[in-house]
Parts: sequence; C-alpha cells; structure tokens
Amino acid sequence: MKIISLFFIASTLLLLFGCQQEESSSHLIEGEGIQVEGTWARPGSEGRMSAAYFLITNFEEQADTLLSVHSDVSHLVEIHESYQQDDDMVGMREVGNVEIPAESTVRFEQGGLHVMLIQLNQSLSDGDSFELTLNFANHGNITIDIPVRR
Amino acid sequence: MLSKNLFLALPLFVVSVLLLASCGNNRLDDYSDASFELTNQNGESVTFPDDFEGAPVVVGFIYTNCPDICSFITANVQKIYNEIENPGDTQFVLITFDPERDTPEELKKYATAFEMDTEPFHFLTGDTETIDALMKRVSVRTAFDEKRENETGRSIYFINHSDKILLIDQHSRLVFDYGGSMTPIDIIVEDLDKL
Repeated sequence: MKIISLFFIASTLLLLFGCQQEESSSHLIEGEGIQVEGTWARPGSEGRMSAAYFLITNFEEQADTLLSVHSDVSHLVEIHESYQQDDDMVGMREVGNVEIPAESTVRFEQGGLHVMLIQLNQSLSDGDSFELTLNFANHGNITIDIPVRR
Repeated sequence: MLSKNLFLALPLFVVSVLLLASCGNNRLDDYSDASFELTNQNGESVTFPDDFEGAPVVVGFIYTNCPDICSFITANVQKIYNEIENPGDTQFVLITFDPERDTPEELKKYATAFEMDTEPFHFLTGDTETIDALMKRVSVRTAFDEKRENETGRSIYFINHSDKILLIDQHSRLVFDYGGSMTPIDIIVEDLDKL
C-alpha cells in the first residue's frame, strides 16, 4: 500500500513538474518581438541617483542588442552593472550595450545589470513613475513606464 | 599521588572552563573603546558607538550616490526593522563613507526618499578624517573610481566598497558581520531576536 502511495505521489509531482516546464516553453512561443516587464526604480532625491530594473524577453529567433537608454528624468542615463570585486568588495561599471539572445530573458536586477539615472532632474518617491526609452538594434525604440517603489 | 594529580588537573580544568566561556561569547570585536564624533541627518552631534550603548545596533555602510548595492543595503536595514519582534528595542544606523558629498542635508533627503527619516533610524556622516578612521576600525574598505565631470562642471564618481551590515550588541561588541546586500533578512532577524 505504501509503495502504491509513493508511486502516486511521485507520478503527481512528475506531472506537475512537466506541466510547469511546458507552460514556460509555450509562454516563450506565444510572445513576439521584445517585451519588457517587471519594471521598477528606487526612490532618489533631486540631483542624486536612482536605478531602474526590469526583465527584457526576446521572443524572436535571432538575438537583439540593447544599444542605449534615455529618459528625461535625469541628466545622464547609462547602463551599468554591479559586480563582486573580491572577498567583500563590490564595484559598479558602465556597460556599453547588452545582447538579448534569441528566445531568452535578460534580467536587470539588484546587484547586477541596471539602468543608472545620474543626477535626477526631480525627486522620485514611492508611487511616482517616469518614462524610459530603450533603444534596440533590431526593434528600435521601446518606451516603458517605470514605477518608483522602495 | 591523588592530591598531586588534583593539583595538576585543577588549573587545567579552570583554563578549560574559561576557554569554553569565551567561545560561548562568540564576539568578533569590541568597539566599546572606540569613539567617533559624527553628525546625523538632522545636524545633531552623535558619538558612535557610545550613544547607542544599551541597545543592539544594526549598522549598514553606504554612500547615497550608489543607487544599486547601497539602496539594497538601506532597504535591507528597513526590512530588518519591519520584521523583528521588538523593533523599538533596537537602533538602526547607516553610516556614509563619502562624507564629501553626503552632508547631513543630503542624508536627510536620502532618508526621506526611503521613508526612514524617523526614529530609530540614524543616518550618520562626519569629517573625512573621522570617517576614514571609523571605516578602518570596522574593516570597511573603499576605493574611489576616477572622477569625471558633466558639462556643468559637476563631478561624478563612484566608489567600490565593502558590502556590509554589522550587528553590534548592547555593550558595543560586534556580534555578526554580514554581506549587506546578499544576506537573507531572515538570518539577521533571527540573530537579532536572540540578543
């Protein structure tokens, strides 16, 4: 009886896992072009800095490249990445452009790739939002709305 | 013979007990002999760590022109406050290692943006010499990137730095040294609740 129960549980888990994998694959096939989601930015005061984060998914069969970023919210807008320098040191450096491989998602997230908003033209508080334009080699300009939250 | 053995064994036993007791304390450092004159975001003088003795202190090290890792550290300090059982019993301190730009006024704006410009959050700065000595004492390393200027002549630079949150007990002793942005908050909350 115990063996039958274990077999049943294992089969259910396998089926569930299989379904999730398929959902993920079909999700990729269903989309088209470039999609940007999960957008948000840190609060920041006027004249200082903020950072914006999001996920870029390329549904196409060929790679695209994020060439530049633009927004009126700050004096300079650059693509940066944070990196571990050695044991406990972290650094940040500018990244020229970012390749978005075919049928893949690239994450702009805390502690990694992010858009640096340098010398903000206005204070950004929780609940505010602003526009950010991403310029891709193949898909041109895509403008997204970035909500600010803590 | 028995009394001779006892004579030899007793000191050994006492030393062992003392060693075990010190292991139990598990303190990484003791800052009770240190004293740094700093200024908080309201322009008030603060002596660190003296003014915080009597309560556990969560300390993060940041500079406000760092919106990624340092914002992460700041948000983590706030999350610890939100998740501990008795937040009123603990002090939360963020100390800048960029005193040239992080004046009390700038720290005030930064604290306000994070909705942390209230007790028990303290954003501290000081003169360069004091901040350098403090960072050395708490083993926070910094390396300044090359400065560049925008067209208005305003300088822009970033700082490579240690990624740290410290947990100091009510006697100014360092109890834990965490990765500031990467340590799961649950671990710090659990350690803090034990103090």
